[in-house]
Amino acid sequence: MVLELHKPRPIWQIMFSTHHTDVGLLYLIMSLGFLFLGGALALAIRAELFFPGSQIIADSMTFNRMFTVHGTTLIFLFILPSASAVGNYFVPIMVRYKDMAYPKLNAIAFWMIPPGGALIWLGFADFTWYATPPYSIISAPGPAADMWIFGLKILGVSSILGAINFVVTIMKCKHPDMSLGQVPLLAWSFLSSSLIILVALPTFAAALLMLLTDRLGVSGFFNPAMGGDPIAYAHLFWFTFHPEVYVLVIPAIGMMYEIIPRFSRKPIFSHASGLAAFIILAIVGFSSWAHHMYATGMSFTEKTVFMVGTLAAVPASAMHVFNFLATMWGGRIRFSTPMMWAVGGIALFFSAGAGGVVNSAMPLDFVTHDSYWVVGHFHLFVMGTIAFGTIGYVYYMFPYVTGRMYHEVLGKIHFVLAMIGTVMVFFTQHVLGLYGMPRRIYDYPPIPEWIAMNQIATVGAMLIGISMAIWLGNMIYSSAKGPEANMEDPFGLGGRYYYPHTQKNPHH
Amino acid sequence: MRYIIGALVMMAVMFTVNVAFAATAEPGEYLDRRVEIWNLFFRMMVVAITIGAVVSGTIIWLIWRFRESHPNAKPTKYEGTDW
Repeated sequence: MVLELHKPRPIWQIMFSTHHTDVGLLYLIMSLGFLFLGGALALAIRAELFFPGSQIIADSMTFNRMFTVHGTTLIFLFILPSASAVGNYFVPIMVRYKDMAYPKLNAIAFWMIPPGGALIWLGFADFTWYATPPYSIISAPGPAADMWIFGLKILGVSSILGAINFVVTIMKCKHPDMSLGQVPLLAWSFLSSSLIILVALPTFAAALLMLLTDRLGVSGFFNPAMGGDPIAYAHLFWFTFHPEVYVLVIPAIGMMYEIIPRFSRKPIFSHASGLAAFIILAIVGFSSWAHHMYATGMSFTEKTVFMVGTLAAVPASAMHVFNFLATMWGGRIRFSTPMMWAVGGIALFFSAGAGGVVNSAMPLDFVTHDSYWVVGHFHLFVMGTIAFGTIGYVYYMFPYVTGRMYHEVLGKIHFVLAMIGTVMVFFTQHVLGLYGMPRRIYDYPPIPEWIAMNQIATVGAMLIGISMAIWLGNMIYSSAKGPEANMEDPFGLGGRYYYPHTQKNPHH
Repeated sequence: MRYIIGALVMMAVMFTVNVAFAATAEPGEYLDRRVEIWNLFFRMMVVAITIGAVVSGTIIWLIWRFRESHPNAKPTKYEGTDW
């Protein structure tokens, strides 16, 4: 396998390397592989919902298994590893260090992901990515559920190891001439998201152990029949996974901070405000977990606190958006493929945030709770913001990784189809939720509005599927046969490509 | 600007919450909570769509005005430097 033009190496040399670019390449290939697997499940789910009644999926249990593995895969096996891919490639270079702080630990963190992913895919559990108790502890079929728990456990340890590595690399290994404030915002995004992981993830690690012992019958933490409380699991889960939303979105915003100034041909408008916004998001991310639980009988005071805590994220998010817009203002913008993805990501980030503000108002939350509104809102973040930022950055780093250029026209077609598809699927799902359609259902009554909106969403999903197939073909073909990139200035922006390509693959 | 918007949103929310609480304090008063909630929803959607229209319009204008093929596009002072 040859992915580098000038120094072709066999795949095993990359697989057993501990060098940060090699580990980054492994992260990248694996995360994109899981993106296509998880995306295929999404297409199957959308095809099933095209009409009421059973279409292509045999029964509701299989449907539940498919959306459980779809969600788990795309969050834990695509978004997190793809961010790690970018971080591995560029964080050491940005802090001017030879590698990650702990190269072997870095490779170990990567190699924990394939077994974790295998457990999730071979088990194919059915209790949603939330592992809903008490169903998950009383009657979810094993060994699928147990394999999911062990798979998540392994992936969690991998995330913690990766986070430790990023924190130490940035805090302790940065060049002595570089102050922490001078560290580029992409590296800052990894620092803040890694700190969130270190604080948030151990709680879920404990919850997974409690879930497992509950399933084994030796404890009853979340089992009402044994005096336990499923709501306790909800607190533990969301204490980890609301901050985790920021773990997912912050690196994507960091990637936009690289792309937008570069293609606007001017520096970022305010480095300090971007940095401050990352820190604020990392802190206020912990003040909003229970907004997922307004409908569980919380007191009015608790709900008010978490509503205000949720709204506290709005100014920080707005700081990022206005920073991007102010950077573009007065620039001479080249709309190459990475820039199109980044700008599309900003627009959808804003849309997703606006929906979130509406949703965080507790009276409205009761209207939208467990409806397709939530599905649309969440996916507008993960697809519209995080995947858009990540895909844009994959295009941006393509010359650096391969030494070749991708096909620009195909890249733009990819973006246009995906943008239209994303709006069709996820904006429509918001309205579908307001029309009362619950999430996570296999079949639905033949209400004309529900049928029409499900069909619009399914057509949009198919457009995204087609666009991703074009991307896959473009990546594979261009990495092998694409024209050689001008490594000094691959996008013709008149400046220098930020990353010194001569640092690529030194013998380690 | 965002703080002002946040404060407006909070005022809209607190207004409805106050009305909901007033219902329990004054048992004789009729209150249709469903109507109140939908009223809140429509008010907040007006706010969200107004802000969304301004920001989206700004993005679209930026894309149109500052594209490199625009007749008035000029090189930035940073081009050709190691900024």
